Parts: sequence; C-alpha cells; structure tokens
Amino acid sequence: MSTLNPEQLVFPDKVHRSVYTSPEIFDLEMDRIWGQTWVFVGHESQVANPGDFYSTTIGSQPVILTRDHEGAIHVLYNRCAHKGAQLVGDRCGQLKEFRCCYHAWRFALDGRCLSIPLAEGYADSGLTPEDPEASIKKVPMVGSYRGFVFASLSADVPSLEEWLGGVASSIDNMVDRAPDGELEVVPGVMRYEHDSNWKFFVENLNDMMHPMIVHQSSSLTARVVAKRELGKDAALPPALEIISPFTESYAFFDDMGLHAFDHGHGYSGGKSSIHANYSDIDDYNAAMEASYGKQRLEEIFAVNRHNTVFYPSLTIKGAIQTIRVVKPIAVDRTVIESFTLRLKGAPDELLKRSVLYCNLINSSANLVGPDDQEAYRRQQQGLSSDGGEWIPLSRDINNDEELEPGHWYAKGSSDLAFRNQLKAWKTCMSKGD
Amino acid sequence: MDGQQELLRQHQIQQFVYQEVRLLDEQRWGEWEVLFAEGGTYWAPAAHDQPDPVQHVSLMFEDALLRKVRQQRFKHPNAFSLQPFPRTSHLVSNVMIDEVDEAAGTLVVSARFLMHEYRLEAPTVFAGAYRYQLQQSADSWLIDQKKATLVNCEGALPSSAIYF
Repeated sequence: MSTLNPEQLVFPDKVHRSVYTSPEIFDLEMDRIWGQTWVFVGHESQVANPGDFYSTTIGSQPVILTRDHEGAIHVLYNRCAHKGAQLVGDRCGQLKEFRCCYHAWRFALDGRCLSIPLAEGYADSGLTPEDPEASIKKVPMVGSYRGFVFASLSADVPSLEEWLGGVASSIDNMVDRAPDGELEVVPGVMRYEHDSNWKFFVENLNDMMHPMIVHQSSSLTARVVAKRELGKDAALPPALEIISPFTESYAFFDDMGLHAFDHGHGYSGGKSSIHANYSDIDDYNAAMEASYGKQRLEEIFAVNRHNTVFYPSLTIKGAIQTIRVVKPIAVDRTVIESFTLRLKGAPDELLKRSVLYCNLINSSANLVGPDDQEAYRRQQQGLSSDGGEWIPLSRDINNDEELEPGHWYAKGSSDLAFRNQLKAWKTCMSKGD
Repeated sequence: MDGQQELLRQHQIQQFVYQEVRLLDEQRWGEWEVLFAEGGTYWAPAAHDQPDPVQHVSLMFEDALLRKVRQQRFKHPNAFSLQPFPRTSHLVSNVMIDEVDEAAGTLVVSARFLMHEYRLEAPTVFAGAYRYQLQQSADSWLIDQKKATLVNCEGALPSSAIYF
C-alpha cells in the first residue's frame, strides 16, 4: 500500500473519490473485504442433487459449490492440487468426482484426493493421495441460512447468523412467502456488465433520492402510454404495474425508510415499498392461508421490503423473489448476476411476475436499469477527473434513530445506507495496516 | 408450389427480413411496429435452451404495449443512457425458410445476424440467430414472433436499450 490509507478516505460525513477509482484500493478490497467476510456463493437449490456443482467466484477467487454423495455442501477452490489447473470449466453441471483435465488427479466432491496416476513415483517424497496437500483446498468457512449459502475465505469471521444479524429477517420473509416454506432457483441467469465500480451498484439500491430522477424516461413513459392506450382509469397490466412506481414522490420514498445494521447490511422499505401495491393473486393467497393461517399470513405480507443488501455481495427483493449477486471484476468493471426464485407451493403466476420483473428491471436490455448504469458510468468517469476530491455523506447525518441496539433507522432520503456501508468498508479495509 | 414460386418466396422473405432490420437501423420505429401481427411479440432469450419467455427470464420479451413504452422512452429528454442515441448496423445472412404451413398461411424463417452498435467510444458487436414466426397478410407477412438469440446471451452483456 503506497499513498492511499483507507483510514483517511472515509469519514462519517464524506468519502474520497479514490475509494471508487483507485486500482490499488480495488486490489486491497479483494483481500480485506471480499477475502475477509462472508460472501454469497449460491442457493442450495443450485446444487440440489448429489454430484451437482456450481462454479462461481468469491471476489477474485474462483470457487466451486458442490453437493457430495452424502448430501453435504462444500465450497472448494477451483484449482487442482497438482499443477493448479481449474478443475471445472463450465458454470454448472453434474459429476461423480473431479478429474483434472491435465494429469487426471481424481478428487471427491468434498475435495479429498482419490488417486494420483503412477502415485508410486512420489514414494521418495512421501506425497500420497492421503496427504492433505494432495487434496483440493477448501474455503475455510461455509454456512447456509435457509438455503442461502455463504462462504468466507478467512476463518476469522463471526458465525453466519451473527454476521447476518438484522437482515436475516429479509431472507426469512422471502422464504416465508413460499406456501411450502422453500425456495428454488429457476434456470436462467442474467449477467449484466457495468463499466463502473461495484460499490455504485450496491449503494444505489438504497439510494432513495434517485428513482424519481433517473427513471423518468421509463416510469413516466409507462404511465403516459398506459393512460393513452388503456384509458385513464384502467387497471394497469402487470408490466406497467412494475415500472410505474419508480417515479413516486420524494415523500413516498422518504416514507419507505432505511434500516441499517452492523457489517454494512441494510434495507429500504418496511411496511411500504414500490412492491407493496401489486395486484393480489387469489390462488396464492389461499395457498398461503392454508399453510400459515390468516394471522401469520398477514404478518408475512405486511413486510414489504424494497432492497436488502448483504454487504458486499448479495442484494435481494423478498417481495418479488429476485436476488442480485455482485461480482467485482476490476475497479471500473462489475458484473451483476440476477436470479429468479420460485416459491415452492405457489401458483405459477408468482414466478411469472418475478420473471417479468427481472426482464423489465434487471436484464442488460431492460427498460429501467440502463439509466442507473449510465449514472454509475458517468460517476466513474467524473470521479476520475480532478474536478473534486470528496463526496458528501451528510444528508440527515444527525437524524439517525437507534430502534434497538445495532438497528438504525432514517427516512428514505437520508444518506444512512451509504454511511453504514462505508463504515463497514473502512473497518474491514483498516485491518492489517 | 413450383421451383420458380419457391424462389420468388425466398426472395420476398429475404427482402422482408432486410427491410425489418433496415427499419431498426434507420430508427423508423413506427414503420417497424406495423410489421407485427396483433399479439406479435419480440423475444430475446437469456439462454439457448430457454423453454419459454414467461417462466424464465429473458433479455427482452415485449408485446405491443411494452414496445410502445420502449419506443416512447427513446424520445424522452431524460433517457440518459440513450444520449447520444446509439447507431446500429444490422447485417443479416443465412436466411432460410425452415417451416411452411400452406393451409395456415404461416412460415418459420431462420437467419443469422451481426449488429454493430455505436454510442460513445467503444462499439459493441452482438451476434446471434433470428427466428421469425410469420403469418401471411394481404401482400406480405406479419410477425407473430421475432426471436433474437445472442450467441453469448448467457454471458455478461453490456447495457443495450435497442432491439437486436
């Protein structure tokens, strides 16, 4: 680390531009943030059967999520213990065991070395398949919370439950929305490349001052087209019901509110959100009532969170059953992967709404997101200029309310979410200096 | 249908496909829209083996109403990601009539495309397959569905607000 000291880049009321533009800072983030905390790896349903694997990354590290023949889940480095070749090249698939493409070392799905061709050749060195060095290196910490699998490259982390803290309830609410109490990832992943730093995306999700500005061209247009084509008082078709609320007023987004927790986590929306007023789907409500009873069902539906951020790697929308996974590639390059989830036991209409939402909001060719992406791109370019050094984080800085220990609340227009994320960023980045 | 008629139909279909992408390149959205049959859809799947556009995510799946929203958005003064508006060049080749149902008056046509898109510094090239489901109208065809499958639809894709 040369001139950039993370401690001097983030303050309670401002952040330095190099946090988003410096390649050195990005490299340090890979080690101290992405390498030192719980990162979302995948959903258990992506490796539903023994032998299933899903290859992904934790920051800059290629890893494989596997399910072994006993049903246990593992996260392994995607690297042969011999000469380092990646063991799987495809994104997902089914395997009885790993067999390296180069010299055919064989490994079980938990990483144990099964055999080495002509192993007797190593007799003098003592290297045998039983030697731990001959096995695939495992990612030290793996945990699953209601099907959401996280892993940490460092063993020095709190338990997954402790780390999730107050945002675990957002996963709970998404799972509880399934009449059968389980989720399943639906095949089909959108991979959307952004020409900008990963933190712009993560911060934007709970930036309640942008939707009514950035999304005018899509949301206002949807309202105009609906009126013109369908009549002034006609009910909106599902697609326009999804797009229209993005240009709700400042007061509406203020009212949604922001919640912040330790480790940079947080969510926007609670009782209300832009997802709160979708049309009812009768069969679904009936299935939910049969599973949970009327009172519990009302409690579940009363939670209408907008975006929940599991800093730094995962963002979810419980009420619409989509998740977005953050993949930092370079200081100015990020890939966002979007998955849709099926609520087991729910009628297909719910999945269709999630799919429609993803098409309209999360796809790289969607009607809403390119304007967000354009804002990040311009921010990346603008902050790379010498036109200024600091970004303020001071909106409503003295109005945070501590609802309970470690749970902070502010109105939607507050900078609370940014302050909270960057506080966690600073804590991680300052370790080891 | 004799050989000459088949040749004529092949020629007409090619001209139809060339005209369709020309309207996109020349940003003549109103005329492009007229090519769609009532209920006609535009579909860009997110996976090569994607079975359907309603229970699986797509890059785009648009009926007439959503196409109106998209095209109207093109003209909105605050459509920041379209400033400047991207220019494109669609090249279409390998146009083949795959299926014919004379009784129903429908055709399935496949083709390959390259779309060169330029907005700011770096141009982007998209490549893929078109599949048109067409129905005979008075003196031409109408699109029941245009499906554009990018070769890399499963990969990481840059923003694209216009039709492939």
